[in-house]
Amino acid sequence: MVEYRFDVFFRIFAHAAGYASQFIVVWIIIDRFESLAGWKSYEVMFLMGFNLLSYAMAGSFMFNFSRLLPARIQSGELDEIFIKPLNPFLYLIFKDFAGYFGHFILSITIIVISIIKLGIKLSIIKIIFFVITLLGAMLIQMAAFVFTSVPAFWLVKNNSLMDVFLWQLKSFINYPLSIYNKTVQILFTLIVPFGFINFYPSQYFLSKNDFLMFHPVLQYLTPVIGVVLIISAYRFWLFGLNHYKSTGS
Amino acid sequence: MSLIEVNRLEKVFKVFKREKGSLNVIKSIFKRKYEIIKAVNSITFNIEEGELVGYIGPNGAGKSTTIKMLSGILVPTSGIVKVDGKIPYLNRKENAMNIGAIFGQRSQLYWDLPVLDSFELYKKIYRIGNLDFKRNVEFYTELLDMQEFIKMPARQLSLGQKMRANIAIALLHDPGIVYLDEPTIGLDIMAKSKIRTFIKEVNKEKKTTILLTTHDMDDIEQICDRLIIIDKGTILYDDKLKAFKEKYNKDFMITVVFNNDIKTLPDTRFKIIKEDGPKKHILIKKDDLSFIEAVKFLSNSYDIVDLSYKEPEIEELIIGFISK
Repeated sequence: MVEYRFDVFFRIFAHAAGYASQFIVVWIIIDRFESLAGWKSYEVMFLMGFNLLSYAMAGSFMFNFSRLLPARIQSGELDEIFIKPLNPFLYLIFKDFAGYFGHFILSITIIVISIIKLGIKLSIIKIIFFVITLLGAMLIQMAAFVFTSVPAFWLVKNNSLMDVFLWQLKSFINYPLSIYNKTVQILFTLIVPFGFINFYPSQYFLSKNDFLMFHPVLQYLTPVIGVVLIISAYRFWLFGLNHYKSTGS
Repeated sequence: MSLIEVNRLEKVFKVFKREKGSLNVIKSIFKRKYEIIKAVNSITFNIEEGELVGYIGPNGAGKSTTIKMLSGILVPTSGIVKVDGKIPYLNRKENAMNIGAIFGQRSQLYWDLPVLDSFELYKKIYRIGNLDFKRNVEFYTELLDMQEFIKMPARQLSLGQKMRANIAIALLHDPGIVYLDEPTIGLDIMAKSKIRTFIKEVNKEKKTTILLTTHDMDDIEQICDRLIIIDKGTILYDDKLKAFKEKYNKDFMITVVFNNDIKTLPDTRFKIIKEDGPKKHILIKKDDLSFIEAVKFLSNSYDIVDLSYKEPEIEELIIGFISK
């Protein structure tokens, strides 16, 4: 068990250290140039922190769901789950948690520091909205996991899809959308709505007014988008199930 | 109405066709050729409550695909499949409450948990009442001889012990139907015999309907009343096991050891089905020749060292039947 415990601690440290170096680099660069498209360094830290926190919450449930699905299809484990009187979607979500302690510690620290440094006053309403928005952002991130893993029903291997959508594409939203051109802004608002994870709700928390070509109402919509996306993700999952081919035995 | 109704059921798979040659490999990334494979091709059968059915055929015949459609894992391409009046893939959860299943060598046990704790887990999943649970655990522990390992973690169990525990799990919630896919694969004779006795006992006690796929013909002979033979997705035979034996037991086999290795027998009435050097297993139709006639013919024409007679086993009957 000692080795195992060491593994856990080491992983927490490695995760936290990996992301921390990213934060530090961004902080140094923006601090040097004072602002990034009108966003101060601690505001960008808040964006990144919010993205990471909601990702850690979603990933705790969904990381193994996504990562193990192809293997479960190949090994026939999924067949066994289907013949149990359970909802396979929920069963797989709750079956194994991923240890994201490092992400949690780091992202919460960053958010707290940013709030203090920016001198944001926390009213009850702001705190409640923060929690609801965080849950909404988590749902968007969860939906992203589902959308990228369901194609495993056809492709069997889906690692590259996860790589592009979950990691590469999402690294864009570590920075304010206003630094990108219009195509990218439309992409992250209407097509792959990752902007709702942190960019739009942050306008409310940070009292900013940076809505690109869109209406300011977007800052309140994260919970709605989250619910809509997770429902469509679930429907997509059911659609995938109908095309499930199983494997020969 | 039958418990299981299958009517013109079909399942078609589209399989990527791999071609040889490095140029074709690159081509296949952009344009793929697919083959349509009918894993199950318009099969029809009914199974009544309490029947013990052996569902057999060679590898890739469509057995597992049929069972996966019956248990709601796969959606049929066309045709009707109904279990207890319901369509399995549309009522997956309800169907799951009424079936037990074992798929090959996959284990339902939790690696680190003692067997009894795995049972407790399935008690929760299937919402089994305390009384039923206790009664079944006692009954199965006794019948399957599980006292010695029921408190051991699954990882320490032998293959036979694991299979016994898995069969107990499949039956823990008193399902009306049990699908057993190769329940005795890789087990020793003792374990096989225990499992066979157990299946028959449960069928007698609880009227459980059992659909069994296996490659071990002793399983069929000792457990099943009825035989369904499938090959290439089509049902070739569906009737009582006894009727099959009577109808197709028209051959007998003699094993002859020749003094010098002969390549072929000139007479078409003698069919060599297996050979180990000078030892030939020869199949003869009862209509063509009697045993005595065969012996006379062979001993007159050849130099024979040894000869023995055997009634064919069910396995050989089925091989003969399928290859026809």
